[in-house]
Amino acid sequence: MPDRAGRVLPSIHQAPLPLDRLILTDKPDAEAVPMDVLFVGGGPAGLAGAIALAQLIKADQEAGGDLGEVQIGVLEKAGALGEHSLSGAVVNQIAMRALFPELNDKDFPFRGPVTHERVHFLTENRAFRMPTPPTMKNHGFHIASICEIVRWLGEKAEALGVNIFTGFPAASLLTEGTRVTGVRTTPSGLSRTGEQGSGYTPPTDITAQITVLSEGTRGTLSQAYLEWQKISSDNPQIFALGVKEIWETLKPLDAVVHTLGWPVPKDCFGGSFMYPLTRNQIALGIVVGLDNKRTTDDIHEMLQRIKLHPLFREILESGEMVEWGAKTIPEGGFYALPKRRHGDGVMLVGDAAGFVEVASLKGIHYAMQSGMFAARTAFDALKKKDTSAATLKEYDAMVDGSFIASDLYHRRNMRVAFQERNYYLTCLKVGLMNLSNGALFGGKIKSHTDAEVVREVVPPAPFTPDGKLTFSKLDAVFKSGNATRDDIPSHLIVGPDITPEVAELYAHMCPAGVYERDGDRLVVSPANCIDCKATDVLGPRWTPREGGSGPKYRQM
Amino acid sequence: MEISAVKLAVCVKRVPDMDVRFRIGADNVSVDEAGLKFDLNDFDAWAVEAALQLKDKNAGSEVTVISLGPDVVQETIRKGLSMGADRGVHLKADKVPFDGFAVASALAAELKSGGYDLILFGKMSPDSANGVVGQMVGELLELPCVSAISGLEIAGGKGTAKRELEGAQEIVEFPLPAVLTVDEGLNTARLPSLKGIMAAKKKPLESRAAQLPQPQLTVTRLELPPERQAGRIIGEGAAAVPELVKLLQTEAKVL
Amino acid sequence: MANVFAFVETRGSEVRKVGLEAVTAARTLADKTGGGEVHALVLGPAGIAAKAQQLGQHGADVVIVVENPAFANYNPEAATATAADRIKAGGYRAAVFSTSAQGRDLAPRVAARLGVSVVTDVLSFDVQGQNLVVRHPMNIGKVIATISMSGTPAVIAMRPNVIAPAQNPKAGRVETAQPATDPGSTRVKVLETKQGNRDKLDLAEAPVVVAGGRGLKAAENFKLVEDLASAFGNAAVGATRAVTDDGWRPHSDQIGQTGRLVSPELYVAVGISGAVQHLAGMRTSKTIVAINKDKDAPIFKVADYGIVGDVFEVVPALTDAVREAKKHH
Repeated sequence: MPDRAGRVLPSIHQAPLPLDRLILTDKPDAEAVPMDVLFVGGGPAGLAGAIALAQLIKADQEAGGDLGEVQIGVLEKAGALGEHSLSGAVVNQIAMRALFPELNDKDFPFRGPVTHERVHFLTENRAFRMPTPPTMKNHGFHIASICEIVRWLGEKAEALGVNIFTGFPAASLLTEGTRVTGVRTTPSGLSRTGEQGSGYTPPTDITAQITVLSEGTRGTLSQAYLEWQKISSDNPQIFALGVKEIWETLKPLDAVVHTLGWPVPKDCFGGSFMYPLTRNQIALGIVVGLDNKRTTDDIHEMLQRIKLHPLFREILESGEMVEWGAKTIPEGGFYALPKRRHGDGVMLVGDAAGFVEVASLKGIHYAMQSGMFAARTAFDALKKKDTSAATLKEYDAMVDGSFIASDLYHRRNMRVAFQERNYYLTCLKVGLMNLSNGALFGGKIKSHTDAEVVREVVPPAPFTPDGKLTFSKLDAVFKSGNATRDDIPSHLIVGPDITPEVAELYAHMCPAGVYERDGDRLVVSPANCIDCKATDVLGPRWTPREGGSGPKYRQM
Repeated sequence: MEISAVKLAVCVKRVPDMDVRFRIGADNVSVDEAGLKFDLNDFDAWAVEAALQLKDKNAGSEVTVISLGPDVVQETIRKGLSMGADRGVHLKADKVPFDGFAVASALAAELKSGGYDLILFGKMSPDSANGVVGQMVGELLELPCVSAISGLEIAGGKGTAKRELEGAQEIVEFPLPAVLTVDEGLNTARLPSLKGIMAAKKKPLESRAAQLPQPQLTVTRLELPPERQAGRIIGEGAAAVPELVKLLQTEAKVL
Repeated sequence: MANVFAFVETRGSEVRKVGLEAVTAARTLADKTGGGEVHALVLGPAGIAAKAQQLGQHGADVVIVVENPAFANYNPEAATATAADRIKAGGYRAAVFSTSAQGRDLAPRVAARLGVSVVTDVLSFDVQGQNLVVRHPMNIGKVIATISMSGTPAVIAMRPNVIAPAQNPKAGRVETAQPATDPGSTRVKVLETKQGNRDKLDLAEAPVVVAGGRGLKAAENFKLVEDLASAFGNAAVGATRAVTDDGWRPHSDQIGQTGRLVSPELYVAVGISGAVQHLAGMRTSKTIVAINKDKDAPIFKVADYGIVGDVFEVVPALTDAVREAKKHH
């Protein structure tokens, strides 16, 4: 059914998940690399899990246990740990402390404690100080760069003997019956037409007794597993897109700042953040739900505009943007969690499972804690020599009995409430939800996927970047460190019937300028992709591509 | 063509990723390493690849990867091992001296008794950017040396190499043992495979003190280059050409 | 008072401009260290002795001429032995080479044979007390190092075109000498040489360099760059790494920190975006002109004059205009 005039429904233009490529029944190749436990994705969840498991095994070996040598592997698609990691971030150190009880807070890779915080409501020219909503209170937490956290965790993992394989994206799950037996990586060195160039490397198979999917937001294999095993959730997962920059500034910032209001449209859910990283370095960004209501809503542009607001301009003027990036965040909360996050030989952790609490913008400590629960479960399974779902269900029980589930439950309706169109009424509802700790308006609110939200076709608001404070997508992508080779095959699966309006939607949806509308047709530049996954949510399907492609974040 | 086992050594250097803005450290004589990523440099990677290709063609050959510096250079040696080299040697030194002659002296002392048929270097490392160590090792070991090669064949105790210099191309022949420095265009370095990475962990890597002489070069200062004065875009398209020519004649005085 | 040695690079029976630069640099250095003599070594085929006077004009007190048919081409082993023996015998304070392709090979060999260090790609030098202090770009030109050299002789290789050859007439007394080793019996033998077009100006010497990048879209379009270069009359053609990687131009045309270092009066960048690696090879050019269709291309940040436009329209127009301007010279 085509779109109605003046409207676009993104879901009808999306290609389905290519399950036949993502779930393989092939026997693993004879040269397969054998691992015992494999973490797919080297972010906080995967690394914390690998570390926790290595710690448990080490303690067991020292106590005379009989596990023998256990090979733990972490597969990471970026060329180096941290290069694809991006977050605000203000971190709750609870998981770090649990993982490293022998260390002190000052030993952790954080930038500094949150000392002051402010929330403002913005109009185009003014900023009104607001009382900090209880969900956004960050006192006692730490400002951090997730890249630095990941690199630090990586070092700890390697010191414990964890095998970290960077530049190896997992392209498919290897399966036998209902069991996940490992993964197959992507090939590299293919030309745009699919021919093998001189640097061609074929895919590698890795077998594992347990595969932990720690792929992060909108993980491809995680989605494939859930669809293949027909695991549902009460509500579909929904996403926000965060676009972030790091600036070197002459004016110091003394507080963690959050804003609501302008330039986020009234019918969109989102806001901005500005955090001091050091005396002259700040992180700022905007996070907006992908259920926005117009084809030309452009979140990268919203970030550029907000920098012109006096509140931001004052700090950024005569500074310099040193990094830029973007990433989606799962926002569905409690009711969007898959009903089962484990199976035969597999567990899902972190953002890939949806463990993010959007009202407080927190996910890193949930990711790490879930990884640690998966580690505990994996350890018990290895000891029992039983890695079937019956044993691995311990993982779900641990998560359900922990602060992960209880935090998400208390805030379960806050985001979803905003899918309604009246922002202020929703704010009132959410305020009451907050005050009542979830007791009021606690009934589950039914929600739809972002792609099922109809968008009105409106002409784009004109926007000319000045190249000093505001930047075009092309300039921005350059600052993400993206040096993907130009003739890489396209990893994006474009769906049916791409009208000019759909092309326009894609051009504004993608922060990295992968999509352009050229007259009536869609032009795709896949090398620009920075793996934020917005495309997978609203537009062409994202699939894993050659290792080392994409951004090279350093301090995001 | 005779196939016979060859003993190969490749000397490698760990360098920071050049795609960043550098900051000068507080001591003014070093670059601030915070946030820098390090790796085997491209020229050395091509040298390792050249050695591995020779090993692939000559059964029984062995490739040794050698690097001088603090403990962290062992990561770089392991990368060579993951690509397929057989053993590693780490020459321990607190810092890698800027002085290429000091480095060459320490490497020559190590290589001298190695019985290597071929010793390979990258033509230059992008950080110190002198491009001298390979040639200096050749002299110190009194071995024939060919620098900046972009083509290589080895057969029966001899080798031929191609060099491309300033518009001219040369094919040279040399006896083994010899020292070679590798330029761009010789090959494309293979990426370590997963199997290679696992296997590398078990390959031998010896570590011993580097025999470094006193350096004769001291870096007394590092600074960022002066910004070029911002120029201007004088116009668009062919219409701007007359103005450009005028400026080149009158202002820049280069026409 | 200390004498300074200069190695004068030749090409066939011609003295290269970088050779004159070496003599000029040696002269400056000698004058800074008390006014000692400059001794210039020149290796070449029969007839090279005729160039001695030119070297004297540029400041050489003594010109050591070694004539041998083998020196029609660069002979690493014989050149190394001859230069090293002479430097050792002469007790020089410093020895000046060029960072040309030949110099990159020769200078470190000579230094190692003398047991001393070497700094290549030297931008400038000074004398501070007992030490020679030089400036040298590191990290693809993003960092400039000041280096103090304590060895004797201090061996340096200058970046081409940063020293302007200067007339400073000295005696230029000719000494003839023999190669220190037989150039015919080297261990490394040249089997074949394919000269590039000898008439073409070399990148290191040309006052004007016109370089092309990916913006030209295909190898055959390099003709645009060549036409512009010939319109200037005194220009050499260079390329970016993207272009040499793709095989449109030979590697020896690649301008960049790890390729050719150039410092011409005028550098015209055609369809070049301005990747840092490339900039490192040409940022010391006196005047930079950039033509690119992308107004945000990084090259415009270093260009003195930029034209935003389609190279296929702008370059032919510029070629015609330059030809016209040269006519009325």
